[in-house]
Amino acid sequence: MSAPPSSSLAPARPEVVTERYPESRPAWVQLATSGDHKAVGVLYLGAALSFLALAVVELVLMRVQLIVPESTIISPEIFDRLLSTYGATAVVMFGIPAALGFISYVVPLQIGARGTAFPRLGALSFWLYLAGGVTLYASFLYRPPDAGTNPLPPLSDTVFSPAAGVDAWIAGVGLAVLGFVLFAVNMLATIHTRRAPGMVWRRLPLFSWSATASGYVLLVAGSVMVAACTMLLIDRQFAGVFFDAGEGGSPILWQHLSWLFFTGAYLVMLLAAFGTISEILPTFSGKPIFSHRAIAASLAAIGALGLLAWMQNMYTAPIPVGWTYLAMAAAVALTVPVGILLFNWVAILWGGALRLRAPLLFALGAISTISFGLAGELGYSVIPIGWQLDSTTAAQADTYYALVGAGVLGGFAALHYWFPKITGRTMGEGPARASFWMLIVGVHAMAIPMILAGLDGQPIDVYKYYDAGSLDTYNLIASIGSFVLAAGILVTLANAAYSARNGVAAGADPWGGATLEWFATSPPPPHNFDVIPDVRSAEPLPDIREAIRRRTETWDPPPPLERSPARSEPVESPDPPVA
Amino acid sequence: MPKRLIPLTVALAALALAALPAAAHAIPFAPEEGHSPNADDTTTVYWVMFVLAAVIVAAVNLALIAAVVRFRARRGREPARVRSGRGVQPRAAAALAVLALAIFVLGIVSTSAVRDVESSGPEGLQAASGRTAQLGLEPPAGDPEPLRILASGQQWVWRYEYPDGTFSYYELVVPVDTTVLLQLDSTDVVHRWWVPALGGKFDAVPGRSNETWFKAATEGTYDGQSTAFSGPGYAAMRARVRVVSVPEYETWLEQQSADIQSAQDAVQEQVGGEETGSGTEGAAAQ
Repeated sequence: MSAPPSSSLAPARPEVVTERYPESRPAWVQLATSGDHKAVGVLYLGAALSFLALAVVELVLMRVQLIVPESTIISPEIFDRLLSTYGATAVVMFGIPAALGFISYVVPLQIGARGTAFPRLGALSFWLYLAGGVTLYASFLYRPPDAGTNPLPPLSDTVFSPAAGVDAWIAGVGLAVLGFVLFAVNMLATIHTRRAPGMVWRRLPLFSWSATASGYVLLVAGSVMVAACTMLLIDRQFAGVFFDAGEGGSPILWQHLSWLFFTGAYLVMLLAAFGTISEILPTFSGKPIFSHRAIAASLAAIGALGLLAWMQNMYTAPIPVGWTYLAMAAAVALTVPVGILLFNWVAILWGGALRLRAPLLFALGAISTISFGLAGELGYSVIPIGWQLDSTTAAQADTYYALVGAGVLGGFAALHYWFPKITGRTMGEGPARASFWMLIVGVHAMAIPMILAGLDGQPIDVYKYYDAGSLDTYNLIASIGSFVLAAGILVTLANAAYSARNGVAAGADPWGGATLEWFATSPPPPHNFDVIPDVRSAEPLPDIREAIRRRTETWDPPPPLERSPARSEPVESPDPPVA
Repeated sequence: MPKRLIPLTVALAALALAALPAAAHAIPFAPEEGHSPNADDTTTVYWVMFVLAAVIVAAVNLALIAAVVRFRARRGREPARVRSGRGVQPRAAAALAVLALAIFVLGIVSTSAVRDVESSGPEGLQAASGRTAQLGLEPPAGDPEPLRILASGQQWVWRYEYPDGTFSYYELVVPVDTTVLLQLDSTDVVHRWWVPALGGKFDAVPGRSNETWFKAATEGTYDGQSTAFSGPGYAAMRARVRVVSVPEYETWLEQQSADIQSAQDAVQEQVGGEETGSGTEGAAAQ
């Protein structure tokens, strides 16, 4: 790609550009050993989407068991193993790494960097994560974990859960989260030190802002979880007593540490979706960002306040009531930044010219679905409602709303948006629309009956329920909804796999994006940019396009034998401009 | 927002609000009917937050739908390239902060209301011994003493110990209109006590005491279930509270006490005076 002439570019000078250099090693070795942020991002995304497929299979199996009351299709032991693996898979092996995959690929491009600050740390973070996932799933060769989605001591002690799979859960999650912490270190260092000239913090693109916020969240919450997993492993394997009430330890301690992490995980998924939505809405409505400053401040506030609300998961635990007030205060305070975000998003859409392509469709679906989840979350953060409805399927439905909205719909919005950048091809619109409607119908058909069942007293994580009231109807509909949801997810996964080779070729900037990743070719070369432009605003690409337009409209060929003075005329290149 | 849309939006919102309780009852969005003052307080705050959440969801989704319908890209449409004016965001944030503060105050007030232990009514048991030390909850100052019961979770059944040392499994029998202070404890893993009609749920954690209370207003049986994952038998860890009149309760307590004694004697006879341990308790289990 030849650099478009623009006032914000360095003056043209002789450059030797080799488009490709001879490969010395097979492509897969190249990918696996590369420290390039794009290779790391592709690996993260590939692994995360594979784990998503596994999570979908586990969810479907569990929902099959719950179609009828007192079902015996799946034994309680098998159900508990599916349940314990599913929780870790959906959150730790899919949710966080999917967000990190996009962050790894997009953020260095957005900030105009040629790579990350610590390339090999980025590669190491991926391999630690994959090692964690393999550790977790290797337990299916002997005995999978069965101590629940969050293995609370004393249940997760060897006395009550002797299965070695529980150790695999702890080690697998610990390894993966250690990888995420290293990733956060690398990405934060990159964002802090590698931004393009002129890209001060107030001009940092919003997705990169959300990546910064979630990087700090991961740094805190992830480090805590690595420590907690190590302590639990010591308790199980080396006669430790960190969480042993009889020996001076405390089971409550694990709840604090693990809930801080799971709250952080929830926030990372939400923040990544919020950042993505904040990129997609202006691009597809043809409008500038309504208020960059307000959205950026909201994203930072959500990260900070959200983490403080970890004890919202512990309303029922024996902790002094004052601490639950603190959690409620933080959770309720989230109303302000989340409300500001919603207000700004609607303001961006209002008065625009909406191109309803797949990325915008998924982004709108994500906002809609997340609004159900977060409005419900606001309700559950009021302590008596939490006492009544926490750990019922009603509260679980709410989490599904937020996480399907953020992780799946938001993640798919990001996938459709940046897929052309990553592969050079666009994903099919038809399958995208089909998948979108299946996800929307599926998530409501699953979640609404779960709310009704929870109000009637159905607990989470049960392998069977007793026939009382309308529980059988609710669970039947919820199961059907989950199947539709699963089918919708698989349609997009298939669409991505097919379009990677057969999609319509996309140029460098298929959507008319506003940030620097669209300045690079699709896919970008290893060094990302031949020339790194100066950044003058939060939306640098419209500036560059404007500069090009001004030049092409006003450009006159200079008189042949007369040299124009260097400072009177901003046009420095005599080359014909490329529009 | 264009001016002509404002009345329409307001009308739609009012309509939705008016129709909300009806719709919420048609689809059973109500929590299980409370039979205890703490459960009633919870139901009140639940409806306040339900309506608020429904309004938020409706507002967000209607705005999205309106934007998509009204502002689809078509020939000749130029996007309005506007940015936020000064003062817009602080004003929005201030309005949201007022809302957040109101919710927080509601949360504190309703939590205090739910935690406020009422005294037993005239129909209830008039005296019970205070056997266990209480932690967080303050029992009512005046007479009569609340009935203190120790509920101990174990894989996968609840064991209830009454003030006189009598115990029962699975089914808790209490007199009507009597304040019951329930002290929660666990002998193995974390369990979570919950009978929806009698108020919120609380954890039973080994080594830590937790407390809740209820005052059943009407006789009857109320079912609940532990909601903390506790292993393969977790789904079967149910709880039942049978609320009976005071004389019935006293008869039951005597009968249960006698049954336990005779069962223990029988076991004593069988093993010939050997150390019987905790096995005797199982014999009396219902």
